[in-house]
Amino acid sequence: MIDLIKKNAKSLQESLFSSVGSSVLTIATTYLVINFFRGMLGFAMTSDKDWLAVLNNMQLYMVQAYPEEDFIRVWLSVGLTFVLAGLSIGIWRNEERVKSSQIFNSFFKGGLGVLFFTIIAPTNASFMGNDGSVITEEVLSMDTRLGLLIPVIIFCAIFFSIRFTNLNFTVNSSDMVFFYLFLPVALIWFVKLPTIQLDQNNERIIPEPLMPIANTTKIPWTVIFVAFLASYFIGMYIKNIKSIKSAISLSWFLLPLLIFSWIFKKPQIEMSVVLGSDLPIFGFFLLWGFLVITFVNNSLFKKYYSTYLGVTFLLTIVGVFSGLPMLAKTCLLLIALFSVVVPAVSTSSQGKRSLLIVWAVALVTLTFLLRGGASDTGIVVPGSSIFGGFSLTWLLAIFGTYVSFPLGVLLALGRNSKLPIIRIVCTGIIELTRSVPYITWLFFASVTLAVFLPAGVEFNLIVRVLMVTAFFSGAYFAENIRGGLQSIPKGQYEAADAIGMSPFQKISLIIMPQALRAVIPTLVSSAITAFKDSSLVTIIGLFDFLTIGKTVIGNQSIPVNFVGHDRENLIFVAIVYWIFTFTLSRRSMKVEKKLGLGER
Amino acid sequence: MNKKAIVSLLVLSMVLVACGDTTDEAAVEEVVEEAALTTLEEVQARGFLKCGVSTGATGFTEVGDDGSYSGFDVDYCYAVAAAVFGDYSKVEFKQLTAAERFTALSAGEIDVLIRNTTWTQSRDTELGNDFGPTTYFDGQQLMGRVSDGLSSSSTLADIDGLRVCTNAGTTTEKNITEGAGLVGATIELVTVEAFAEAIDKFIAGECDIVTTDGSGLVGRRAVNDALNDWAIFPQSPISKEPLGPTYRSNDSQWADIINWTVYATVIADEYGVTRANIDSVDYDANPELGRLFGKNDGELQTKMGLSADAYYNVVKQIGNYDEIFSRNLNPLGLYREGGANARWTEGGLVYAPPAR
Repeated sequence: MIDLIKKNAKSLQESLFSSVGSSVLTIATTYLVINFFRGMLGFAMTSDKDWLAVLNNMQLYMVQAYPEEDFIRVWLSVGLTFVLAGLSIGIWRNEERVKSSQIFNSFFKGGLGVLFFTIIAPTNASFMGNDGSVITEEVLSMDTRLGLLIPVIIFCAIFFSIRFTNLNFTVNSSDMVFFYLFLPVALIWFVKLPTIQLDQNNERIIPEPLMPIANTTKIPWTVIFVAFLASYFIGMYIKNIKSIKSAISLSWFLLPLLIFSWIFKKPQIEMSVVLGSDLPIFGFFLLWGFLVITFVNNSLFKKYYSTYLGVTFLLTIVGVFSGLPMLAKTCLLLIALFSVVVPAVSTSSQGKRSLLIVWAVALVTLTFLLRGGASDTGIVVPGSSIFGGFSLTWLLAIFGTYVSFPLGVLLALGRNSKLPIIRIVCTGIIELTRSVPYITWLFFASVTLAVFLPAGVEFNLIVRVLMVTAFFSGAYFAENIRGGLQSIPKGQYEAADAIGMSPFQKISLIIMPQALRAVIPTLVSSAITAFKDSSLVTIIGLFDFLTIGKTVIGNQSIPVNFVGHDRENLIFVAIVYWIFTFTLSRRSMKVEKKLGLGER
Repeated sequence: MNKKAIVSLLVLSMVLVACGDTTDEAAVEEVVEEAALTTLEEVQARGFLKCGVSTGATGFTEVGDDGSYSGFDVDYCYAVAAAVFGDYSKVEFKQLTAAERFTALSAGEIDVLIRNTTWTQSRDTELGNDFGPTTYFDGQQLMGRVSDGLSSSSTLADIDGLRVCTNAGTTTEKNITEGAGLVGATIELVTVEAFAEAIDKFIAGECDIVTTDGSGLVGRRAVNDALNDWAIFPQSPISKEPLGPTYRSNDSQWADIINWTVYATVIADEYGVTRANIDSVDYDANPELGRLFGKNDGELQTKMGLSADAYYNVVKQIGNYDEIFSRNLNPLGLYREGGANARWTEGGLVYAPPAR
């Protein structure tokens, strides 16, 4: 114990007070930092702040005016994401163990953080009254502070002393995810919050027993948590099944598409059409594909393969111009193209199996998109663009990254291509997109794109913004990835050529994995930038998370009256942004460490 | 069949797909021809009205905690929808910033702009817009502290040597510089991006005067001035800011619909017809109301392309001018009495032509 203190004291002295200059610096910055936090806490705690402006507007913050009866769509999207995440964590479960001492140590550190803030929190804070005079009031009395300090100190002491006991165990690091998720889910069952109610004169009253969080929030989160848990175990159980990994990766790729059409479209599905026409068509083509995959390398079939292909294409041509349902037409086209690819891949039983999966997924996606995604009837939000708030921020960030990352890879490869046309086009796209500010592109999406498009063709503003965003961050991704490509020694290309790899194999198996690995930090920082830049959509009248806090809530006058309370909201918004970007960057640091980046 | 055949088949299919595309394009062209509709037909075919409103202006455009809209401007959007569809809820609001409002209107992204927009000569003539009847007569005023020796009877000359906060890039900034220059007052102008910041600076004592449209000042004084220390002056505003609906200038039928929606609320106010008592109006004794509400004779409305009871629906669902005004603006401390927004019979400017 004494050794430990001595060791810490010595390192403290070495790093902070090694010379007169550094001592002065240490003291000065400590003073500044403490005062900064004191000021911030004092600001947050004075009585003129109305934190109900944040609490009361949670729904607005999350989904803006998305209709309440369709919330199930949002919940399903969130739930599906969690289920997929659970499956993936289960399948790629790593065997790393975390020592108990590490966990306790992080508890101890967290406790120390709370302790620090409790100690430095100001007793008195002042704020500017409406007449310009400074009003000082007590925000944290000594009694309250002691009441807070004692449990925190006990908490810290317990987790500090635990390391001297024999309590020693290890936890799988993937299992820790539950703990992180369990805490907030458990918390929402116990926390009670003040809500605003109005009396007869439309005056604000706060009902005395604080209200628990509504069941409409608690139950979906609990269900999602349970589903997550279940899918984690299922993932662990099925991790050894072949090709399940590629299926999950594919699902991740299709997920945003699904969520997108789920949230925007509300197809009018008639059961008679589904049973009478969709299902038979779907089953027929599934069977067709299955037969082709199974028998394509059969000697008899091989003999007549070209005839089969010719007939299929003829059928497709006839089908496209006939009065067949749209689904049948597209399926015909799909099977014709599919039949061309099949013989090359369907050589082994493994190849056949993965082909079958690809075929099934392609058919399901197609059916879904035709019936759901392309339906004319969307969600109707009374009097507003479909949604805003945090969902919009999230949608722009995630969908933007999802679309722009593959686009960036393609553009980067194209820019390095030996074919001049491809190179010129890709370079042109990259340079054109990058040399115009993002805000200008946003204005382009909002104002100009509508004029360019032929009348009658109309995209939702959000879709237009997504298109522009995909190209913009795609160009940046492309430049980052090009940097990675240039770091690959020429020998790698030559070696791949030497063992007779096809260009596709060379890029996907040799070059890209190395190139991407080299630029992970810049890619993550690009993704974080895209997440934060999504707040710029405010200038074209979309209500993202930040705008709701900054402009909307500060204007709510009758009867709740939050006019002038935009600072509380801005602090809340900043904290939420910080939590997400910080988590993202910590995760990427872990990935870098795991890949051993910068160690060779 | 060899590889060549397969390739040629592929090419053939691509050509076919391209052909399919051209048929689509033909369809699009047909749509273009159909798109030469009047605004009213377009709105009716779409099934809802697209109304451009502000991104946030206390009392005029507000978004509630469930995302619902309310406010003076919003109510006029509802009123237009009630006139066109008989159902006030068939509106889609587009929140527009000051910079993009006119472009959005001319690009057809919105059908009507009701976004506390000041009617000026250049906006009316140069931008391809027309302005409807003014729904709110506003004017720029200044707000200072009584403790600084200012009162509601102060004039521009009294602000000599004071720091004035306002938001940049608007006519507000120009007006105050011009006005102060004319009376020979030297002021220190502090410009910020949004009015909310200007008020924050005013509260923090970083400026002695804050200036914007009178409605905004009164609204903030009602909320923030607990000590009755804030005075708004001069009595007659330093600028005229008539706010009203704006529409594209090439469609007079649509213009008439908007104009008469506003007039209908004003006429209903003149007769004292409200949401509550509209069903007990004696139309024989008040033939003008009978004509306006389509009870005796709905020809006036059907000639405009609306249903005979279009304006009945407006007043029944939204209310008359006085109701709209008091519902949204009285809680902020803005009243009609004694100002330009009073009835014309009571010395104000709110006046409507007769419905005949």
